[in-house]
Amino acid sequence: MTQYGFHFDGTRCTGCKTCVLACKDKNDLANDINFRNIHEYGGGDWTQDAAGCWTNDAFVYHVSVACNHCDKPICMANCPQGAISKDEETGEVKSDPETCIGCGTCMNSCPYGAPKVDAEQMKSVKCNMCADRVAAGAQPICVEACPLRALDFGDIADLRAKYGDLSEIAPLPAASETEPNLVITAPVNGKPVDDKSGALLNPREIL
Amino acid sequence: MDGFSTAFSEITLVLFTTLAPSGAVAYLLMNLPVLFGRVDGTLRQRLDRLSCLPLAITMVGLIASATHLGNPSNALYVFTGVGRSPLSTEVFCAVIFLALAGMYWLYSFALAPRRGLQRVLLVAIDGAAVVFVIATAFAYSVDTIPVWNLSLAPVSLLLNALVGGPLLALSGFAGVGYRPWTRPLVALSGAALVANVAVYGCLGTQLAVMANEMVHATDLVAGFPAYVGVFALLAGVGIVIAWRSRGCEGRSPVVRLAVATACALAGIFLMRFTFYMAHFTVGLGV
Repeated sequence: MTQYGFHFDGTRCTGCKTCVLACKDKNDLANDINFRNIHEYGGGDWTQDAAGCWTNDAFVYHVSVACNHCDKPICMANCPQGAISKDEETGEVKSDPETCIGCGTCMNSCPYGAPKVDAEQMKSVKCNMCADRVAAGAQPICVEACPLRALDFGDIADLRAKYGDLSEIAPLPAASETEPNLVITAPVNGKPVDDKSGALLNPREIL
Repeated sequence: MDGFSTAFSEITLVLFTTLAPSGAVAYLLMNLPVLFGRVDGTLRQRLDRLSCLPLAITMVGLIASATHLGNPSNALYVFTGVGRSPLSTEVFCAVIFLALAGMYWLYSFALAPRRGLQRVLLVAIDGAAVVFVIATAFAYSVDTIPVWNLSLAPVSLLLNALVGGPLLALSGFAGVGYRPWTRPLVALSGAALVANVAVYGCLGTQLAVMANEMVHATDLVAGFPAYVGVFALLAGVGIVIAWRSRGCEGRSPVVRLAVATACALAGIFLMRFTFYMAHFTVGLGV
């Protein structure tokens, strides 16, 4: 089995949301659903020293997140229907629409906010790592669309060998919660998980 | 999404977790006189048949919870998750309890029901009721949902059931003109209320320091102490009404106890509403 995963390069991402919209377009998503979100995290303040000189420690960076097809998917563990499973070939965490009852337990449990309940279908929906494109040898649409090449996709072992082991950064949850198949290259001024110096700056954009 | 929106979107689950645990406890209490042979003849028969009252209240909760499903036609798959998913286990326990209780109720209409068989059934039903209430209390313990995963969260639901259940049982007893154990049952409800308010007080202090990157628990459930105060008031009024019904005769105690139960359940509903208001996950989920 190949466990696929995503790499996100925080030093390249500008928060343009091309990945978000490419995903929405490909999956024909409703206005109130995103499979991928850009989280804008920032903070800092001005301080005046004894000489009256002002300095600041302001920071802001973006984190692009979709379903991380976790090794310990809490959505799968809590689904009362057994509708969520991990694909044996790719490690995709996928929901079976025939079994799903749209109860929203997966949505309520996921610390990345990945699964949603589609109000029209009344089914759980989420990123499927563009399984059709991957099967055809292509990259997921978000990866291909990123103009800054801030996203990469592939065998998570290869991604970790290439980019390192970091898989958590504020405002994401601790990786120990679900063991996401995600590798992060930390942005400049990237803050650790549970950082209290910043805040999510675009909560209304997160769908 | 704010706390009110979250709770309104789960309103049927609020109703379920309000009614079903109290209904199960009331059912258990109402069958104790039959189980221990304290009643006989017509009274026993009437008590058996009126056991459908707490059963119906439990079922109303369960049916209400099913309406929040997008596609109930697939609901039977829920049994594939028993033991793995706390929600599956809860539903499974509910079905076992309701099936056994329904069977007992139908059997109570037999011309000459066998008492031994009825007692065996009652023991099984009471066990199933206890397991069901515990399963409901723990159904929402999810690692990534901090407020729901607090150790006091299931304790609060168990105490809810002990506040509402005895009052509902007293209503049922009064419905058949039988008035046993009014003092101990009202005392049980009162003691559970005191403990429940204390537990909510502790939960309130825990909520004050809980947050993720998007929300703070106290923003989701603004004015939590006021909700606890209204809960204490409503349930307290219910308990006082139940206590004062002791000397009443005729239809009056039924009405009084029904009002007392309604007050307690209204208070419990309010606190269950705040439970859903407080939902957020670690990390990014609201």
